[in-house]
Amino acid sequence: MTDVALSRNGALVLRGFFALVIAFLYAPIVILLIFSFNNSAVPTFPLGGFTLHWYHEFLVNGDLRAALRTSALVAAATSVGAVLLGVLASLALVRRAFRSKPLVSALLLSPLVIPYLVFGIALLLLFHALGIPNGVPTVVIGHIVITLPYTILVLVPRLEQIDASLEEAAYDLGASRLRTFRSITLPLILPAVVSAFLIAFTTSFDEYAVASFLVGPSTTFPIYLYSALRFPSQLPQVIAVAVVVLIVSLTVVVAAEAGRRIAEHRVGVL
Amino acid sequence: MDAEDRLEKRLDRQMLLKLAAATGGAGLVAGRAGIADAMRSFSTAETGRLQVLDWAGYGNDGGQSMFAQYVKQHATNKPRFTYMTNESDALAKIHAGQRPDIFRPYVGWVKFFATSGLVQPWDPSQIQSFKHLNPFMVKAGQYGGKQYGIPDDWGFDAILYRSDKVTPKSRSWGLIFDDRYKGKISWFDDLNMLTIAGLYLGFKDPWNQSDSELKQSQKLLVAKKKNVRLIWSSETNLWEAFGSGDVWIAYAWPNDWVQMKKKGLKVVYMRPKEKPIAWVGMFMLLKGSPRSHLAHAYVDAWSSKASAAWLEDNYGYGHANLQARPASSDLLLALQLTNARAVTEPNAHLDRDIPRRAVYAKAWQEVKAS
Amino acid sequence: MTTPSLLGLPLAWLGAFFVAPIVIVALYSFNVYALFPGPHGFTFDAWRSFAHNHVYLRLFWKSTQMSLVVSVIIVLLAYPVAYYLALSGTKRKYILLLLLIAPFLTSYLLRVLAWKVILGDQGVVNSFLFWTHLRSPEHPLSQLLYSRFAVMLVLGYIWLPFVALPIFVSLESLDRRLLEAASDLGASRLRAFWAVTLPLSLPGVIAAFFFVFIPTLGEFVTPSLVGGATGYMYGNQIVDLFGTGFPDWETGSVLALFLIGVVAVLTIAFSRFLQPQQVAAE
Repeated sequence: MTDVALSRNGALVLRGFFALVIAFLYAPIVILLIFSFNNSAVPTFPLGGFTLHWYHEFLVNGDLRAALRTSALVAAATSVGAVLLGVLASLALVRRAFRSKPLVSALLLSPLVIPYLVFGIALLLLFHALGIPNGVPTVVIGHIVITLPYTILVLVPRLEQIDASLEEAAYDLGASRLRTFRSITLPLILPAVVSAFLIAFTTSFDEYAVASFLVGPSTTFPIYLYSALRFPSQLPQVIAVAVVVLIVSLTVVVAAEAGRRIAEHRVGVL
Repeated sequence: MDAEDRLEKRLDRQMLLKLAAATGGAGLVAGRAGIADAMRSFSTAETGRLQVLDWAGYGNDGGQSMFAQYVKQHATNKPRFTYMTNESDALAKIHAGQRPDIFRPYVGWVKFFATSGLVQPWDPSQIQSFKHLNPFMVKAGQYGGKQYGIPDDWGFDAILYRSDKVTPKSRSWGLIFDDRYKGKISWFDDLNMLTIAGLYLGFKDPWNQSDSELKQSQKLLVAKKKNVRLIWSSETNLWEAFGSGDVWIAYAWPNDWVQMKKKGLKVVYMRPKEKPIAWVGMFMLLKGSPRSHLAHAYVDAWSSKASAAWLEDNYGYGHANLQARPASSDLLLALQLTNARAVTEPNAHLDRDIPRRAVYAKAWQEVKAS
Repeated sequence: MTTPSLLGLPLAWLGAFFVAPIVIVALYSFNVYALFPGPHGFTFDAWRSFAHNHVYLRLFWKSTQMSLVVSVIIVLLAYPVAYYLALSGTKRKYILLLLLIAPFLTSYLLRVLAWKVILGDQGVVNSFLFWTHLRSPEHPLSQLLYSRFAVMLVLGYIWLPFVALPIFVSLESLDRRLLEAASDLGASRLRAFWAVTLPLSLPGVIAAFFFVFIPTLGEFVTPSLVGGATGYMYGNQIVDLFGTGFPDWETGSVLALFLIGVVAVLTIAFSRFLQPQQVAAE
């Protein structure tokens, strides 16, 4: 592989480029890390002294922790829903031929377009008309709509590259469509499914505008955060939280990835 | 083939049901009435909690001291907060079906809400600290002889500038339009900028400008926008920009001066000759609220001397309770707290109703888009 | 599974929770619904003034340009990254992919805040320039923050990992035997790239472009945080019409629908392009 796709020099150049990109991506995060220990209410240079005060504040802040929990719950439910719907839609888009396909794909991708503020208000009006009170479920509904296009955009290219004849062979051998999907297609698209899940999760966890309209009496983390951006006294604490969230989620994702690799090893795919 | 199709159909239905359950959509199966019933029984347990629609920072996200007295007295009716980013947002939420008991627009909106049919007047006799509130602010919360708004936090709109970098030509609002300091100026994101332009241009009633006056104000803003680095809407934003030297001149509130001074910057809080504007937060009670008595208790807690002092010390805003004094002498000075009349003529323009607010809003939008 | 049963659930979901709300927004734009009680009825007024009032259309064009520039640059940057991960044979590709995505697990709002610290007049960049005497402390580079540049830079930063993902997914599924065959036939690596890899990864690239172009068209959070007065975008205008000053839902709905319309057209055009194999098969 290294030979046909990349020369030694090419690989070196690309590795250097990759390192640069990673540095670029992480620089602001390192800055956040520095400021989480900064002894000043406002994050500007020059730095104040070192302090663990903000971490302590965050740990005793029950509301902040509740917001984090709510966000995690919403994000989990959203990703499950969005991936499920996304897989169904992607299968139809890639494996089926029908006239209205361009229109259908446009519809499926169109939530990408709508400004979330407008969407949030529109959904609020809809739920009001239906008599459904706002809370975690309504946020999940809105978030599934928002994240569905992302899951489709990740799953479709991957599905396209899988040879349809593999599935047809299994089908011809007597397997039901569901069995074919479970045993042939699903393992092959699993990396894409995992990616789709991650994208949906992070999008939902971080989403502010739609949630602010639909969350009712609860609070999600971005909503708490946005209010902290307006109220300076909360800001340093929230920066400390961001650092903690990063570490926790990195751990979770690494563990999930490790788990997946082990699972794949056992199944013998790859 | 047939058996398979049937199997697939069953699986589809099963999958649908599983998904319905997963998304909490029991209602999909039970129907709309089912949801409403379920939710009603869920919510009757909570009808006791006071629904407060307030700005960020005044709920359980930092403002607990303001209503601590209320929580002590009414522990079973603890407040439940939803947040408004501004009055426009609150208006939209209320129209879209949210039913808070209390919310908090600012004084420029009192007449609008009083005549909107959405709110009901307060009964000051239920608020113990009412007699200690600044009478000029109290008056501003009245309409048609009734007390629609109870004043709470307040501040000035004036100009903050770096005395080591900036020499104003005169003590005037014109400083925020000064071409000499291009790229170093910050405006406030509010249609009040048109009012300020009107003050600067010397119009008789900047809150009620005629079409041609409004056009002139708008033209001035569009022309001077090139000098503006930042149009701030949250104080944190202003503090970062000002604190790091990105901005030298800003439309600012008293606490902004205090904070920048604390950072060691050489700053001046200028009261322009055209007068600063004073803004005052007003508690309003929604019509039809089933918790009017609790609402009064909540506002009473907010109006107490202890809450007032806390607000001044921690958020740097003034409080309508005349008995309260902040620990910071700088803040005392900037807010002119020893003079109850500081907020109104001849010292300042107490902010007031803008009859053609929609027109002003549109004009301001166009300024921002230009 | 038949097509209708596959598509049934996703489409029903979108029908109920996406199309219906949009119809409501449309009705607001025609004043069939209005926020305030009072007389109202179907009218094109808001649309007419949108067409005549060049301010909003000019703003839309400005936003489109910004989005285009950001998208093109980011896709160009993301491709080599995805290529390296997918095809260099590195043993740790998934871990590196994780490393790439990880910044996403922090808060978007706070990462933008961190950029404010980097780009400010006394931020990291300028402090560095002062220290190396490339600029005097009296003359910092002021155009870094609260400018169009800042908006584009931060948007690019936010979307880069997102964009690398679909390209990675499509490159990873590339059948290496094709490349081996190409090399056997005497093609150089560069030639093989142009003739084999690039075309086959195109669906991923197009998806990647979409990932960034379309959302950035309607962006408002980043411009509001680092755009200052000049980085104001079309999305901000919509937000303001709904949320500040005085609600003007009619005009806001018009602007929102216009945006949706433009993107719908673009998406339809691109989706034909996105499925060459299907079209060929048909």
